[in-house]
Amino acid sequence: MSHQSALTIIDEIKPDQVESLKTALGTIAAPGPLHDAIAFSALGNVHFARLVVFDQDRDLDGNPLPPKLALLTNFDGDVDAHIGAIAGTCGGGLDAVFSACVHYPEQAAVSAARREQYLRRHRVKEKALYVNRQGRTVSQILREKQLRDEIQRHLDAHPIASQSPAEVHRAIVSFVKDRSDLDWALEPEVGPSELWKRNELVHRWAGLALAVLLAPVFLISLPIFLLVLRYHEKRDVPDDSAASAESVRAFRADEDIWVHNQIIAVGVVKPGLFRRLLTEGMLKLTDYAARHIYNRGFLSGLNTIHFARWVPMDDDRRLFFSSNYDGSLESYMNDFIDKAAWGLNAIFSNGDGFPRTCFMFCGGITDEKAYKRFLPTRQVHSRVWYSAYPDLTTKNIANNAEIREGLSQTMSEAQAADWLLRLGVGNRLPASGFVARLLDSIRWDRICRNCS
Amino acid sequence: MSQLQLDDIQGLIPHGYGRLGFASFVLLAVRDAESTKSWLKTLPIRDAGSRPSADDSCVNIAFSYSGLAELGLPESLLQGFAGEFREGMTGTEHRVRILGDHGPNAPEHWHWGGRYRPAVHILLLLYAGSEDSLARLKDDHLADSHSAGLEILTQLDTNRLPEHKEHFGFRDGVAQPAIAGLGANSVDDADGNTIAAGEFLLGYPNAYGQYTARPLLADGDAELDADNLLPPAPDETGMRDLGANGSYLVFRQLGQNVSAFWRYIADQSRRADGEVDLSACTRLAAKMVGRWPGGAPLTRSPDHDDPALSSDNDFLYHRSGDAIGLKCPIGAHIRRTNPRDSLEPQPGSDRSIEVGKRHRILRRGRTYGPALSLPLTAEDLINAEPDGRERGLHFLCFNTHIGRQFEFIQHTWVNNPKFDGLYEDDDPIIGGRGHRDMPGGVFTVQAEPVRTRVTDLPPFVEMKGGEYFFMPGIRAVEFIASLT
Ligand code: HEM
Repeated sequence: MSHQSALTIIDEIKPDQVESLKTALGTIAAPGPLHDAIAFSALGNVHFARLVVFDQDRDLDGNPLPPKLALLTNFDGDVDAHIGAIAGTCGGGLDAVFSACVHYPEQAAVSAARREQYLRRHRVKEKALYVNRQGRTVSQILREKQLRDEIQRHLDAHPIASQSPAEVHRAIVSFVKDRSDLDWALEPEVGPSELWKRNELVHRWAGLALAVLLAPVFLISLPIFLLVLRYHEKRDVPDDSAASAESVRAFRADEDIWVHNQIIAVGVVKPGLFRRLLTEGMLKLTDYAARHIYNRGFLSGLNTIHFARWVPMDDDRRLFFSSNYDGSLESYMNDFIDKAAWGLNAIFSNGDGFPRTCFMFCGGITDEKAYKRFLPTRQVHSRVWYSAYPDLTTKNIANNAEIREGLSQTMSEAQAADWLLRLGVGNRLPASGFVARLLDSIRWDRICRNCS
Repeated sequence: MSQLQLDDIQGLIPHGYGRLGFASFVLLAVRDAESTKSWLKTLPIRDAGSRPSADDSCVNIAFSYSGLAELGLPESLLQGFAGEFREGMTGTEHRVRILGDHGPNAPEHWHWGGRYRPAVHILLLLYAGSEDSLARLKDDHLADSHSAGLEILTQLDTNRLPEHKEHFGFRDGVAQPAIAGLGANSVDDADGNTIAAGEFLLGYPNAYGQYTARPLLADGDAELDADNLLPPAPDETGMRDLGANGSYLVFRQLGQNVSAFWRYIADQSRRADGEVDLSACTRLAAKMVGRWPGGAPLTRSPDHDDPALSSDNDFLYHRSGDAIGLKCPIGAHIRRTNPRDSLEPQPGSDRSIEVGKRHRILRRGRTYGPALSLPLTAEDLINAEPDGRERGLHFLCFNTHIGRQFEFIQHTWVNNPKFDGLYEDDDPIIGGRGHRDMPGGVFTVQAEPVRTRVTDLPPFVEMKGGEYFFMPGIRAVEFIASLT
C-alpha cells in the first residue's frame, strides 16, 4: 500500500470575486451551490480536503496582502499522481472554483494538461507535515471499519457463553473467513513501499548526522542565542485584543458537526532576521520530529490529530497552520495547554501578537486566558471541508487496525484475551518511541514555574 | 492561597444545604426594575459563614444575563461576563448542538428558559427544614411579588426521595470535589479530588493558577459603586471585582422516564424462559451508572452492592486496577462525568489527574416529583405501572468557566460516542441519542472473554427547561440592588 502526502495550492483571488466566491462556497454548516463542486470522494484516496478563503489583509508594515484561495488535501500516494487525478477527475469542479483566481487558465483554454500545469505552478510546499500514522490508506481505514462493525454485529447476534479467549478468537476468525466480503482481513495489510521506507530511513539518519555535526556550533552559540532570544521576547508585544463575539460565533457555527473538527490559523511572522531564521529552524525540527519521532499516533502527547501542516504564504511573511483533530475546539485548546504547550510555543511564538513566552518553551499558551482570547483573532474559515471518515477518531482507526492484525495471528490464551479487550473499548494505543516518551515526560510546568 | 471569604459567598455553593430537606426554585421576571431593587435590599441572603441547622431557612439568589441587564447593570460590566453566560443556554445553534438539546430535548419544547420562552431574569432558591417553613419563606418574600416589580413565571418544587436517591433508584450526591481552602480541606491536591477554589468561585486562582475573566469595575467608574461595596480585584490593581465570590449556576430540569429505564433493562435481562432476572437487571443498571443502587462504586465492589461503601469516593480507575473497564465500564455515567485518572496523557499518572481537575463541577441538584414506587428497588420500579406523572432531577451545578467545565463534560464526555476509545456509546443514563451520523444508544460492558453490549437504548432523560445563571457574592447583590 502507500504512504500519505499533502498538497497545498494557493492563488490570489480576483479582488472583485472574493465575495461571490465565498457565497458560492458557503460555509461548513451552510453549504453554498459550489460547496461540493470538487468531488474529493471520487478520487478515492483523499483523507481530508478543504478550501479556504484568506481575506485581503496587511502585513506589519501596512503593505496589502491580496486575498487568496487555498486548496488543501491529504491523500495516499505521490503528489504527481494526485495532481493528475485532480486535474482529470475533478477538473470541472476545479474550473468552477478556481476560475475566481487571478492565474487560472481562461475558460476557452482550459484542459486537463493546463490544469495540471496550473496546480504545479501554484503548489506551495508545506514547511512541516504531521501524519498520525504513515501507511494507513483511506481504503484500509474504511474496510477495517466495516470489519469491526461486522464482528460487533456478529457478537451481538451470537453471544459468547463460556469459551476460552483462544476459542472466541478462533470463532471470530472463522466468522470472517466465511464472509467473502471480509476475508481479505485474514491477510495483514501491506505497508508502504520498500523504496519509501528506505527514503525515510536515509532521511532519518541524515538528519541525525547533521545534528551531530552541528552540535558543537549549537553549544558554542547557545549563550548568545539565549541572550538574543530574551532580548526579543522582552520586546514582544502580545496582542491582547479580542475577536468580536460575532466572529467567534461564526467559527463555532461550523464546529462539532462530525466527530472531528478542523482549524486554520494564520499569523504574520515577527519582523527581523532572527525571528525568520528561528521560524525556519523550528519548522524544520518539527517536520523532522513529526516524521521520525512523533510518528506513532502521538504528536507531543496529543493523539487526536489526524493530519496537520504548516504552510508559508506571501514570501514567508505569513504562515498558516491547519489541522484535522478529534473532538471539540475547547478540548483541543485544553490539550495544547495541558500537554503540548512547549512545542507549540516554540513554533507559534514567532508569530506576531502571540502571548508572551519565556525562553521559547515557557509561558505563551499556558496563559489559558490569553491563549483562548488570542486564537480566534488568528482563525480563518475553511469554506469547504471534506473527510473520508467523519465518524472515526484516530483511536478508532488505530484500534480497528489492531483488531484486523489479530485475525492473522495464532494466539496464546493470554494474547487472545488481550486482543478480545479491543472489541470492548479501543483506548489502548501503541506506545510512542523512546525519544517521544522522553520528550513527553519533561515536566515543563515545573521547569517553567519561575519563568515569566 | 487566599482564605475563602465565606461571609460574602452564598451558602449553597460550599454547603449544598443537604440538611434542609425542602426546597423550591422560583423563576422570576423583572417587570419594574426599581421596585425589584428595593425588594432585593430586603432579602436575607444567607452567606456561607455557618452551615444551616436542621430547622433553618435559607434564601439564595442568582441572575440570568438578561436579568442583570434588566436591573440596569451597565454594558461595560455586562461585557465582562463569560460568553457562554451572555449568550445563554440556547444562545447559538452550536451550543444547542453540543449540549445535545435536539429532538424531544430541543428548546422549542422546553417549559421554561431558553429563547422560545419568556426570559427568566431571577432565580430565587429557597431552602427550609420543613414544608411549613418553606411555605413561610415563599410567603415572606413572594406574597407581594407585584409590588416587588416581579412576575412569578414558574415555581419549581422539589421532592426529596429516601436514602438520597434519585428516581431511577440510585444513591446520588456522593462524589463531589473538595474546594481547596474550605474548612478543613487542604490547599494542596495530593488526593486528586481537592480542586482550586477558583474553579467554583470567581476571584480566586483557578486550576491553571489564573484568575478567570469576570466583570471588573475601573476605579474611574467608582461613582457606580459609591458605597464601596465591591472588593478590590486581587489580580488587577485599580479594579473592583463584581465577580468576586460569585459563580455560574447551570440549571437543567431533566425529566426522568423511570418506567422506560427499568423496562428497557428488564427486556435486556430475560432468562431463556422469558422471566426477568432481577439480579441481572440491577447489575446492568449499576454498570450504566458506575455505582450500585446503594452507592458503592463498581470499581471498588464489582460484583455486589456493599453498604459499607455507600459513600465511598476514594478510588481512581487506572490506579485502582480498572483501566479497561472490566469493573466500572468505560461508558458508565460516573466514569464519563469524572474520568479521574483515565485522561491523556498517560492515564494513571499525576499529570492525568491534573488534567481532570480542569473539568470538575460542584453539583447541587434536587429531585422533583413523586417516586414511581417506593422504596425504589429494581423489582418495584419494573413492576410499577407507568403513571404518567412528571418526575426528574433539577440538575444544578456551579463552575466558573462554563465552556471548560459543564459544557466540556456534557459535550466531550457525556454526549460523545467516542469517549475514551469507545465508538458509538453515549451516556447510558443521560445521553440524548439519535443525532446525525452518531446515533449513540449503545452501551458496551467490557468483559472477559469478550464484551457484551446492549443496543437501541431509548433516551431515559428529557430536557424540560434550563438556563445559565450567575450567583453573585453577597456584596455584589447589594451592589446590584444599589444601581441607579
Ligand atoms: C436525571 C439526570 C441524572 C441522573 C439520574 C444522575 C445520576 C447520577 C448518579 C446516580 C450518580 C452517582 C452518585 C454520585 O456520585 O453522586 C451521579 C454522579 C455524577 N453525575 Fe449525574 N445524573 C444525572 C445528570 C447529570 C448531568 C446532566 C451531569 C453533568 C453534565 C451529571 C454529572 C455527574 C457527575 C460529575 C457525577 C459524579 C461523578 C464522580 O465524581 O464520580 N449528572 N449522577
